[in-house]
Amino acid sequence: MTEPLKLSIDGVEITAKPGQTVLQAAIDNNVYIPYLCYWPGMKPYGSCRMCAVEVEGGRGTPASCTLPVADGMVVTTASPVVSDLRHGILELLLSEHPHGCLTCHRVELCGPQDICLRHVSVVDRCVVCPKNERCELKDTVRYVNMSMESPLTYNYRNLQVETGDPFYDRDYNLCIVCARCVRVCEEIRGDDAVTMIERSGTVLVGTSHGSSLLESGCEFCGACIDVCPVGALTERDHKWDKAVKTVKTTCPHCSVGCQVNLEVDSRGSAIRSIGDWDSPVSNGQLCYMGKFGNEFVNRPDRIRMPLVRQHGELVESSWEDALSIIASRLSDYKGDAFSLLVSPRSTNEQAYLAGKFARSVMGTNNVDIALDHRLELIEPLGRRLGNMAATGTVSEIEDAGCVLVVNSNVTEEHNVAAVPIKKGHKKGSKLIIIDTREVELTRYADLWLRPFPGTENALIGGMLKVIVDEGLQDTDFIAAQSDGIEFLTSSLSTYELDTVASTTGVPADKIASAARFFAASSSSAVVYALDNISADDRTPLTESLIDLALVTGNVGKPSSGLFPLRPGANSQGALDVGCSPHYLPGQVSVENAPGLTGPESLEAMADGSVKAVMVIGDSPLFTQEAVHAFSHTEFLVVQDLFMNELAQSADVVLPMTSFAEDEGTVTNIDRWVQLRRAAIEAPGEARPSTYTFAELARRMGATDFSDGEPLALLGEIARAVPTYAAINHDALESGSVQLPWNQPARLPFAALASLAPRIAGDESFPFLFAPGRVLAMPGEDIEIIRSNGKNTIRREDALEMHPEDAISLGVAPGEIIEVATHTHRIRGMARTTGILRGVVSATVLFGELATALDASGDYDPMLKVPGLHIMPVRVEKVPS
Amino acid sequence: MAETFETLQATAQAREDTLNSGLRIRVGVALCGEAAGAFEVLEALNAEVASRGLAASVQEVGCIGLCYAEPLVDIQLPNGSRVFYRNVTTEDLPAILDAVSSANFRPTDKILGTLGDAGVAGLPKIEDTPQWKYQIRIATRNTGTVDPGEIQEYIVAGGYTGLAKALASMTQEELIEEVKTSGLRGRGGAAFPTGVKWGFLQGSKRPNKYVLVNCEEGDPGAYNDKGLVESDPHTVVEGTIIAGFATGSNYGYIFIRHGHVGPIRRAQGAIKQAYEMGLLGQNILGSGYNFDMEVALTGDSYVAGEETALMEAIEGKRSMPRARPPFPAQSGVWANPSNINNVKTVSYVPEIVRRGGEWFSEIGYERSKGTAVLCLSGDVNYPGMYEVPFGLTLGQVVNEIAGGTASGKDVKLLQTGGPLGGVLGSDSLEIMLDYEGMSAAGAILGSGGIIVGADDICVVDLARTLVAFCQFESCGKCFPCRLGMTHLVEMLERIAANNGRPGDLDLMRSTGKTMAMGSLCGHGQLGFNPISSALKFFEEDFHVHLEEGRCPTGSCNGAFHRPTRTRPLATAEWYAKEEYAAP
Repeated sequence: MTEPLKLSIDGVEITAKPGQTVLQAAIDNNVYIPYLCYWPGMKPYGSCRMCAVEVEGGRGTPASCTLPVADGMVVTTASPVVSDLRHGILELLLSEHPHGCLTCHRVELCGPQDICLRHVSVVDRCVVCPKNERCELKDTVRYVNMSMESPLTYNYRNLQVETGDPFYDRDYNLCIVCARCVRVCEEIRGDDAVTMIERSGTVLVGTSHGSSLLESGCEFCGACIDVCPVGALTERDHKWDKAVKTVKTTCPHCSVGCQVNLEVDSRGSAIRSIGDWDSPVSNGQLCYMGKFGNEFVNRPDRIRMPLVRQHGELVESSWEDALSIIASRLSDYKGDAFSLLVSPRSTNEQAYLAGKFARSVMGTNNVDIALDHRLELIEPLGRRLGNMAATGTVSEIEDAGCVLVVNSNVTEEHNVAAVPIKKGHKKGSKLIIIDTREVELTRYADLWLRPFPGTENALIGGMLKVIVDEGLQDTDFIAAQSDGIEFLTSSLSTYELDTVASTTGVPADKIASAARFFAASSSSAVVYALDNISADDRTPLTESLIDLALVTGNVGKPSSGLFPLRPGANSQGALDVGCSPHYLPGQVSVENAPGLTGPESLEAMADGSVKAVMVIGDSPLFTQEAVHAFSHTEFLVVQDLFMNELAQSADVVLPMTSFAEDEGTVTNIDRWVQLRRAAIEAPGEARPSTYTFAELARRMGATDFSDGEPLALLGEIARAVPTYAAINHDALESGSVQLPWNQPARLPFAALASLAPRIAGDESFPFLFAPGRVLAMPGEDIEIIRSNGKNTIRREDALEMHPEDAISLGVAPGEIIEVATHTHRIRGMARTTGILRGVVSATVLFGELATALDASGDYDPMLKVPGLHIMPVRVEKVPS
Repeated sequence: MAETFETLQATAQAREDTLNSGLRIRVGVALCGEAAGAFEVLEALNAEVASRGLAASVQEVGCIGLCYAEPLVDIQLPNGSRVFYRNVTTEDLPAILDAVSSANFRPTDKILGTLGDAGVAGLPKIEDTPQWKYQIRIATRNTGTVDPGEIQEYIVAGGYTGLAKALASMTQEELIEEVKTSGLRGRGGAAFPTGVKWGFLQGSKRPNKYVLVNCEEGDPGAYNDKGLVESDPHTVVEGTIIAGFATGSNYGYIFIRHGHVGPIRRAQGAIKQAYEMGLLGQNILGSGYNFDMEVALTGDSYVAGEETALMEAIEGKRSMPRARPPFPAQSGVWANPSNINNVKTVSYVPEIVRRGGEWFSEIGYERSKGTAVLCLSGDVNYPGMYEVPFGLTLGQVVNEIAGGTASGKDVKLLQTGGPLGGVLGSDSLEIMLDYEGMSAAGAILGSGGIIVGADDICVVDLARTLVAFCQFESCGKCFPCRLGMTHLVEMLERIAANNGRPGDLDLMRSTGKTMAMGSLCGHGQLGFNPISSALKFFEEDFHVHLEEGRCPTGSCNGAFHRPTRTRPLATAEWYAKEEYAAP
């Protein structure tokens, strides 16, 4: 550790770390230097020149954001020379930025509706700017103490406000061209969706070739809005609303666990979500859901009161009455006739209490998260590596030498986990994608292997074969930390690379290069969601991926490891605290009589063995078949945010708090425990599920239940779950805490499953349809249509098929073909550029195909966007 | 590398001897010649020579510097004397060839003169003209004489001996010491000692180091970088390899603006030939030293010539200057240590190594060693590229070499060092041509361009032209330059249109001060120079506009066109053309 440096700023002695800039040191020491283009967390850029300072013995007025600290430096931040310079620059800046109110003495007094006595036109007034009072330019103007008169001519750009994009508005009349948006997109997100256009006086931010954001690769993560210092970029929802407080909490949408600052207005609505730049988990980043998808908490149709079914109708009731009814009815269904299905968004405390309620009050292990949370992705990790969780840290993937992404649509489903992957790729790491579908990450891939659906495991086997045959394995690691390599090598003896190539449809040389990339890099990571892999096949595939990581020594060292991307915001925490039919708190196996999983419960309802069910949250996610299964139950309790088909059929409906009203903790994909903090008041009588369980337990005679208070529950969890022993509220208040990764001294290898046959269609549906989705497709004819304030994109959708398949169907390129599944049909123009026989693929944006998929109801249950499920189809030529 | 350097030299010499034994005809087809119609002349000449069955070798050469006389046809007689025909058109060719065939050269308007000791009786010697007699040709030693497409001719002229000497007998430290001894300073404008700069890169212990050569050259009135690369590309290539060897780097780029077609073609050809001869690539001349080199192109941007912007461009990014520190020697191209030199700077290097730093340091004046490659243009009789030693006066340059104004009017001003360099008044003709002298007078020598204006020019008009150029070429990154330039143009336009406001001069001064103090790179820092120098020498012109509401010379009265794109942006097809593809 190098010694800290000592310098003085405006006569104040401060210390700074070597390598810091003067501005960073000043910020660390609470010395204010104005800046407009700098953003903590991004590389200094040096364009606004507002942070100019004078250094004793130095030349001129260097920008402090790019000036490295030196020992003994004497810095003046506001000498007359520097003040003059700032004044001059701001005067220039205000000559093109609307500033009617900025320098007016009434700026604090006027409201948007007031008549301006100075006749300042509306577009020039700050009081009607969406960023009024959140404007960094305004702060700077106040600091510099600008006067109202400037001899410079004022040039309003007079550009139309761009409202053509789904979530946010861009008013480039207000842009000061600090390039923060361009830099955050390039440097932090790795997207390069926006760039500087033109130059000199007309320089502005835009997309290359003037395309729409939808085409330019924008993910709509909103990072650019968060960093915009002025009103140029603003969220469309609650555009003009002012926040009165900000509460940091954890995003409820996926298992990445981004930290989000919820802004709350004076009426108690959560109006904006802004990424938290201090978070080690998300580094200020959110995605289109975390940024723009939290409006649901404010909806007026939230359930506000408990509802009880009387004479066939649900009528409003009190908690007291509703709980009494539930307690008395549930007493009749103690034991395995009861099942409890809990939302994967629940906090650890809620999930813990659900497990405890099911086991100690209802006497059953039938408690699970209410969706397919892909436990198969982590069970083998638990068996072989000692923990059912990701082995490494997601943010460290940035420094991995090679990243292998297996059947994962990371950008859409675990968006912020894609950020370190893209950043790493920009830094030079190799990116290998295994997926039949086209997903956004394939744009960046060094190698994109498209196996025939169902042959992914064979492909991993092929890679292992190459590694073992070419002696690329990490022999030191294998000798020191593993057992049973011979199981793997002997099972590989039946593998032939050529057979693998013909089975998977991936050329042997590509498999070999993938293996070499993965094995040769200093550290490699595997990211896998195993979309489109059947539940039965996920376990063997995960086992193979573990073998791949072990044989190359990529477990337990930095920037390496296995990263299972499971759905559900708190699936990990729920499992850790025992909200599982198979595991007690601490991932301890239920020895005797494990309970029913979610899907098993549905079957049991249908056959009548489960008679009473409680569903806590996220009930809209159930499929039609599942909702039908519930109709067989004798007693159904639903606690949720909104009325929906399932709630309508319940006997008792309880109003639930949303993530924005909950207190508690959640655990993310890579074992970070973080706080949910209540930002807004719960509507009506809505209460957390912990209240429900604690009250029911009390009424049903349980003695060891507290009143459901989250702090006490966290204490219970810390005692019950060894890895959580160090977790307490105070520690979490000061930041996210990562649970330890304890792995056994020796890690076992497993034999590889034998080559699986391909998934085959049947006679009536002989093809497989592989839908893909990238967020942008440049160079296509795209038309944006606005209607009813919504934007849709129309473009020529193309269906890609193998040329030989096209010949056998008599289809020529450019002809219109139709793809029919059991339930729906979609049309597109045939392209004969496919590489897999028997597979038809399409890459949809938001075009007609997407609409057709949307209409199919084939939703991904967590994300409510059309899923990318591979399905058997029939292909027909449409007569012209 | 099968051959030694001596064999290469012997082969080249044999070829040269054969050519010299006969009649050689050279046609200058560099940018200046091309613009004057040299390619038409060349084509007609080839046809005429063929039809007459004349035993002569006709060759393309670059620019000898006497641009006012282009197209130049240079007849080299077997005795070594060279007869130059000036401003040749296709109609002149029969008469020229008649004279050649009969060996009977009678003085005509078309004959510029002769070069070479023997001369031709009755013809003037170019060596005696002011355009030639002041010159000491080091960087331009081969221009207009060697075929820029033929490495053998460069070798005959002493080329690559410096490299061979360096590789065979010198260490990195010795090379840098030699360059320090020579007193060579950067010719791109900043005049930083080259040896010291090399030392920075040589001192870096990181593995991948780059040497870059800057031929962006966007200054109006400067064409010496383009001229050198186009007329003698091998001297640039050789200098770059030596710079690479001295600094311990293995990669080099010559960075050329995409529109400079001739220089791109010549540089790429030269690099290809150097690879074929084993002078580039692995194990150069058996020394064990490896050096790879290519030509990098950019779009249409003046600021791309700024060293850090140039590095952004090489990386494929928008060419905007980076903030410094870190300096290029710490973090340049792709964050690797880099050294960047101007074309002219590296062009001196082969000769400095070959003849020694001592020799070079004896040329020039005080701290400005060696020569300056000047580009004279504007209202002059003899525009051209002249390499003269430091220490002449600007008066000698303007009145003797450039031959005074073409219009016959009095010299009013000199515009030196590109648009950012500002203007000098006519009293500046007393100034000594060297870095210190120029900067003491408030001007910069910059890239060596000197534009002469006579007293029919209104300085307001000149300033608005220069500032409009600077404004158009501002990259738009830093606030002071982006906004300040825009306001300066606006103010100058209204002053020129006699709509100036009282206070405009002060407003320009304060805006200029903000730019000078606040801007990120030299473009903005020096962007007020055209106005500040105009105000310094010719404030009266502004007052006539402001107070009398008229232009003192009438030159502001016409329509003013702000610059727009001068040529279409390069397209993918353009870059895909084989001749522009990287080797």
